[in-house]
Amino acid sequence: MLYPEIVVAGCGNPLFADDGFGPAVIEEMEKLSLPDNVLIVDAGLGGPHFIFTLLDPEVTKKLVIVDIADYGAEPGSITKLRVEDLPPGSYRDAHSWDLAEPLQRIKDRIDITIIGCQPARVTTPEFEVGLSEEVQEAIPKTIRVILETIGVDYGTTIERIQEERQPGTAKTSGGSLKIS
Amino acid sequence: MSKVVEISPTTRHEGHSKLVLKVNDQGIIETGNWCSITPVRGVEKLAVGKTPEQVPKIASRVCGICPIAHNLAATEAMEASIKCEIPKDAKALRHILQLANRLHSIALHDILILPDLYIPGTETQINPFTAEEPVRSVAKRIQRLREIGQTIGQIAGGDCIHPRNTRIGGMYRNCSEQAKIKMYDLAKEGLVLAKAQMDFMIAVLRNYQTRESVNVGGMKVPLPKTLGYHNQGYLATHAFYGCSSLEECPSWDIERFKEVRPWDWYMGEMEVSLEEPRYPIGGTTKIGTKVNPQMEACTGIPMYDGQPVEVGPRARLVTYKNYDEKGTVGQNVAREMEYVDSLYEMIDNIDALNPSGKVVADYIPDGDGSLGWASNEAPRGTDVHIARVKDWKVQYFSMLVPTTWNFATCSAALTGAPWQLAEVIMRGYDPCVSCATHMIVVDEENRLVAQKLIQ
Repeated sequence: MLYPEIVVAGCGNPLFADDGFGPAVIEEMEKLSLPDNVLIVDAGLGGPHFIFTLLDPEVTKKLVIVDIADYGAEPGSITKLRVEDLPPGSYRDAHSWDLAEPLQRIKDRIDITIIGCQPARVTTPEFEVGLSEEVQEAIPKTIRVILETIGVDYGTTIERIQEERQPGTAKTSGGSLKIS
Repeated sequence: MSKVVEISPTTRHEGHSKLVLKVNDQGIIETGNWCSITPVRGVEKLAVGKTPEQVPKIASRVCGICPIAHNLAATEAMEASIKCEIPKDAKALRHILQLANRLHSIALHDILILPDLYIPGTETQINPFTAEEPVRSVAKRIQRLREIGQTIGQIAGGDCIHPRNTRIGGMYRNCSEQAKIKMYDLAKEGLVLAKAQMDFMIAVLRNYQTRESVNVGGMKVPLPKTLGYHNQGYLATHAFYGCSSLEECPSWDIERFKEVRPWDWYMGEMEVSLEEPRYPIGGTTKIGTKVNPQMEACTGIPMYDGQPVEVGPRARLVTYKNYDEKGTVGQNVAREMEYVDSLYEMIDNIDALNPSGKVVADYIPDGDGSLGWASNEAPRGTDVHIARVKDWKVQYFSMLVPTTWNFATCSAALTGAPWQLAEVIMRGYDPCVSCATHMIVVDEENRLVAQKLIQ
């Protein structure tokens, strides 16, 4: 099967500054050793047609979507959303089906969590690469929340990626992270 | 007296575009303008000064549906500029990746056009989501084909959406013997399904072609025999893959290409004077709305030998296989014919792949500033990237994406059709209009809806 039991999809476009949050979280998570039933995927802009419409509810039981969400909070704040919280049109990619919402179609059979980060700067339509400091610092916290959501023990893994952080990669040790 | 009708946004394709149509008293299109309304700017500027490794990654983010074509075309444009020849096993892996992407794309397009078509012998338009047979098994077959395409792409490209295995000079790693066997098994399974799917789609399309009229939002619209005909010519650079030199591909010569501005080509400011609330989905634009395709269009108009041309499956079949059917149905049939072709080609490439062969060139030059270009035959047409690399820094980069070629050609093809069928003609091009960001706005007034903040 293409997608396993648990799928974590980082959505967004790194060409529009903070919109690259989802893919940046996935890039950071690639340094972790995750169980075989977990797939982390950089969905870019292709979430609706490459993932949400291709999940088999017989196999995939949990979907975690990581994206930016403008909900009026301080930049870098993270929230957990359910499909019901999303306004009509979210992830309604015109290329996917018949203007129906792909997530609405699967939400009763797959447990869906959306982890949204309040962006500081989205530069559309102008291209700009690089996350703002606030959003960058939200990455470790987000990974902690993802691991909690998918039931993976994160205590040691976070410490490990801190040790192994390579120069030039996204920060993994944001000021707000408290490792217990 | 001509009237103006606007369909905005157009549906069942990637990105945001609209149709502005000047129609006569019978509702027949006199002039049609199909234009992108997604402003995406600056990739050229962003690329300058970056390393050749970074630019294909940037290019692949421009679009949500064809990242693979953009990634491959940009990588090969860099290789053409630095004059780097890649090993044959790396080429085979790239071919497999690209064909897997095409397989997925054709299957997805089937779903997008099925609601326009009828179950033969009935007046029932096909709803691909119905639980009833025979549509249910067709939908399952389409899903399996998409899954096969994505799985093969994942094996060859390292990732099924944004491939991470491609690099300047070849591929990062070859696949294992087991992975090769898995790709082979999947392709063989796909071949049987693709043949059945192709036969089904062609039968349904041929049935559509024989109809006198079709139903659009409860309106009975006469179906012209010349739906989607144009005389614009075709451009394709390879039957399957693409190329990056004029010796290999005499049909694409950069000297014969130029781009004009939309205001030289599209209609100027007008006012909508025809409105149809029954048109799916949600009716057409309200009477009195000002429209101005010249100013709203967000892409240039590329010309080849001074004219817009068609790119895509029919262009490939016309150029390399003597295909000659015009019109929207001919275009969709051509796409269906590519199903089986792409799987046979994929199987040939898997056969030729040596899992222990090298996949990175021995020598990767830094580049002397020569101009290099590479075309990649994306599912929806020729994707040309142009680059100049000097001392391992990109000095110039430009992308000519497939749907940009088709905007003006499709606009010409709209003439003579009832305006209600304009979207049917447009969908024949399987358009992919560059997407912008898709940030979630939880509430339009920016009210905090999410209660549970994670501190």
